Amino acid sequence: MDDSDEEYVSQQPVGETESPASRLSSEDPEESDGVSRRTRSNAKRTQVSELKGANGYAWEDEYQRSWDIMKDNDNGQSLEMIIQSMIENRKKKIMKNPSTPFQRGIIRTLIVVIDGSLAMLEKDLRPTRFSMTLSLLQEFIVEFFDQNPISQLGIILMRNGIAQLVSEVSGSPQYHLDRLRQLKAKQHNKFEPKGEPSLQNSLEMARSLLKYNFGNSSNNTKNSKEVLIIFGSIFTSDPGDIHKTIDSLVKDDIRVKVIGLSAQVAICQELVNRTNNLARNIVSKNYGIIMNESHFKELLMDCVIPLPISEKEREQEAKSSKGVPLIRMGFPSKIQPTLTSSLNNSTFTIDFPQLSASDPTHGSENSKQINDIDGINIITNNTIGYQCPRCKSKVTNLPTVCPVCGLMLILSTHLARSYHHLIPLSPFKEVPVNSEYSSLHCFGCLLKFPSGISSETNKDSLDVLTSSRYRCRKCKNDFCIDCDVFVHEILHNCPGCENT
Amino acid sequence: MDAISDSAFREEIYQEGSNDDPSLLTVILDLSPSGWYNIRDRITINELVKAVLVFLNAHLSLNNSNQVAFIASSLNGSKFLYPNPERDYDKTQISSNVEDVDSNTDSEPSFVNKGMYRQFRLVDEAVAEELNKYIHDISSNIDLKKQNATLSGALSMALCYTNRMLTLDQSITTTTASAINSTTNATMADSNNSSTTTTSTSITSMKSRILIISASDEDDVKYIPIMNSIFAAQKMKLSIDIVKLGHQDSSYLQQASDATNGIYLHIIDPRGIIQFLTTAFFIEPSIRQYIILPTNSNVNYRASCFITGKSVDLGYVCSVCLCIMSIIPETKMCPACRSEFDPRILAQLTQTPEVISKKKRKLDAKGIENGNGNGTGNTNGNGNFVTDRSVST
Repeated sequence: MDDSDEEYVSQQPVGETESPASRLSSEDPEESDGVSRRTRSNAKRTQVSELKGANGYAWEDEYQRSWDIMKDNDNGQSLEMIIQSMIENRKKKIMKNPSTPFQRGIIRTLIVVIDGSLAMLEKDLRPTRFSMTLSLLQEFIVEFFDQNPISQLGIILMRNGIAQLVSEVSGSPQYHLDRLRQLKAKQHNKFEPKGEPSLQNSLEMARSLLKYNFGNSSNNTKNSKEVLIIFGSIFTSDPGDIHKTIDSLVKDDIRVKVIGLSAQVAICQELVNRTNNLARNIVSKNYGIIMNESHFKELLMDCVIPLPISEKEREQEAKSSKGVPLIRMGFPSKIQPTLTSSLNNSTFTIDFPQLSASDPTHGSENSKQINDIDGINIITNNTIGYQCPRCKSKVTNLPTVCPVCGLMLILSTHLARSYHHLIPLSPFKEVPVNSEYSSLHCFGCLLKFPSGISSETNKDSLDVLTSSRYRCRKCKNDFCIDCDVFVHEILHNCPGCENT
Repeated sequence: MDAISDSAFREEIYQEGSNDDPSLLTVILDLSPSGWYNIRDRITINELVKAVLVFLNAHLSLNNSNQVAFIASSLNGSKFLYPNPERDYDKTQISSNVEDVDSNTDSEPSFVNKGMYRQFRLVDEAVAEELNKYIHDISSNIDLKKQNATLSGALSMALCYTNRMLTLDQSITTTTASAINSTTNATMADSNNSSTTTTSTSITSMKSRILIISASDEDDVKYIPIMNSIFAAQKMKLSIDIVKLGHQDSSYLQQASDATNGIYLHIIDPRGIIQFLTTAFFIEPSIRQYIILPTNSNVNYRASCFITGKSVDLGYVCSVCLCIMSIIPETKMCPACRSEFDPRILAQLTQTPEVISKKKRKLDAKGIENGNGNGTGNTNGNGNFVTDRSVST
């Protein structure tokens, strides 16, 4: 506690503006505007939000109306300018995806620690910090499993001086979402924010959860272990020495990220820097303080992207020359819950109560889902069976370890979801403004391109105008900006290259 | 995890419920020659296209604002047959307006009736003519070196087009039939003075789906692009329906339909294909949850090996980049990310059952000492099984 306060004082601004943002930017005197250093990690993103003019704290911001931002340019080109800048921003957003493949720890285990102390009842986020956090976390979980299909996640709540386990480490997003929903619903009793937070308790719990690693405690797999703390208070009350806990975190190679909801806390800074191998006083992107709701979301969503493998790990790898483990996995096939057996050319449908090794209640009444749609109850037996390719036992949930033969079972679609991280699509190049173009319409969506611009138009407008064509470097096909964005952000393969 | 992969949008309850929302149907026709050669005694392309055109017309007639697109895909690449930006739909419009019934007796395909509803006629004529051209192109410069059909390319194009239709062209919501045509033309022309229409991202309530008709029996598609397309479709919440002709099931197409809540039907006798198209494939994705569909839920979720390109159901996975291998590479390095594998783990994986046989003998000896029974239980397991047990201990 004390420690954190000293740290805080020592980081007073070196004669800068009084803006609270500059507290952090003390190392960088030339950056004196309201753009906080905290957003430095998101420098590219702030380009986008610049348009909205929402750069400072939400409470410092003047009320902005979207039509006020539009500056008229006398020559009637204002709209075009704005559109232009929007296009540029979108382009820049794409560019943030690095197109060189580099090693990432794709198998991750992440423990999310939520602050459940009294400070979370503050109403600076609507409706309260706590419920805002929970709802953002739900989005986060969906996105996390979308991008990290074979990763696992667990949730801990810091409340009343102790750490409470909200959900066990598991790879099923639905489970976590259910638990979060419970947390939201039962706010009046067990999970209502209360008391003081204890970083040490929850970190110790996270550490013990992270030891248990894909079902085997042997720590040989190269999955990255991470902790994400959403911290609303500005203090922690611990039973022991938190620095020892930090030491053991470092030893276990657990990386901690913190998102602060109120102000910077020195112990968090130290925690983040030590576990991420950074110097003590560096402002790292792993410790973000939110400025407003959208910034909160941005920071949270930044944690979705798998981390690159750290230098230390790489060195270790090189030193020990132990290499990466190879995992044997099975790709089970989906099987129908009802089996059809044929006898003498006539088919009988027999509804076998197929028992699953991993889920004994499967097939019983509990597993039947009742969808209530327009007052009509439709009972669907929604359980899907998967068959282990090696021992032919049946499981209902994937990914899992086959309970019979110990083979790791996974859907191939889970793996394939992360392949676009491996083989990123190179960005398209904008075709320079010209009077004539070879392409008339977008290769992907058939949108007709604007025709060439005659060279007589003056230089000024030439800067503003674009050819609206973005060309793939490989297949030399032209795309419109929307397809460009779509291809790079969602589809991840170039329609042109696929057709050659 | 299933929630993500399988029932991603089964959870989505379509509250709006109004069936008046326009719907886009994109048909991808796979024209790989070998596949069609294999089923030449069952159906010809001509017959199939007739059936598909009926299907398209039926779709158009459901709602004034319904849209169709038609993509042909073959070894030489994929092509939009309808809509075709080079084709001038206005011309046919004018000619049909002036002389409604007869007059222009040009080189029109025989099965397109002159007196047809204009919207049908535009589509049918375009598809039939372009398809003829396309097939000519294929047959004139057939490239024997290229073997795999570019289904992934066609899918990508379809997704791009759908993306534009879903989010960008809000003008689609205008409902009168004539308005549609003028707006589609207008947006093409309008985009000259650019981006006002394209940057607006208001989401229309347009629904969409993709129908793939494939006769190809080869299973070595480009794995990653197909998968990427599937995930994109999943994100856009559009279904991919599959009509599989030919002799074998295609596991990747199965995965595509399964992951996107689409229908997969392997039609062995395609002569009655019109029946399949107008029943099973005619059902809008929004009402599919109420209907028991004839889809096949036995899906083979096999993956494709990065080294050999064959599909595997029991393989090795690099823990860094998750690339799938059916064999352990001789270089002992990951083919994708170049990281070396842990030799100890490799040794464990390549362990042969012989090592175990020693143990077994020990056990057997023990068994004999103690009495009986133990030995038989152990010998039952095959090599792999026992190997793993020994690893874990």
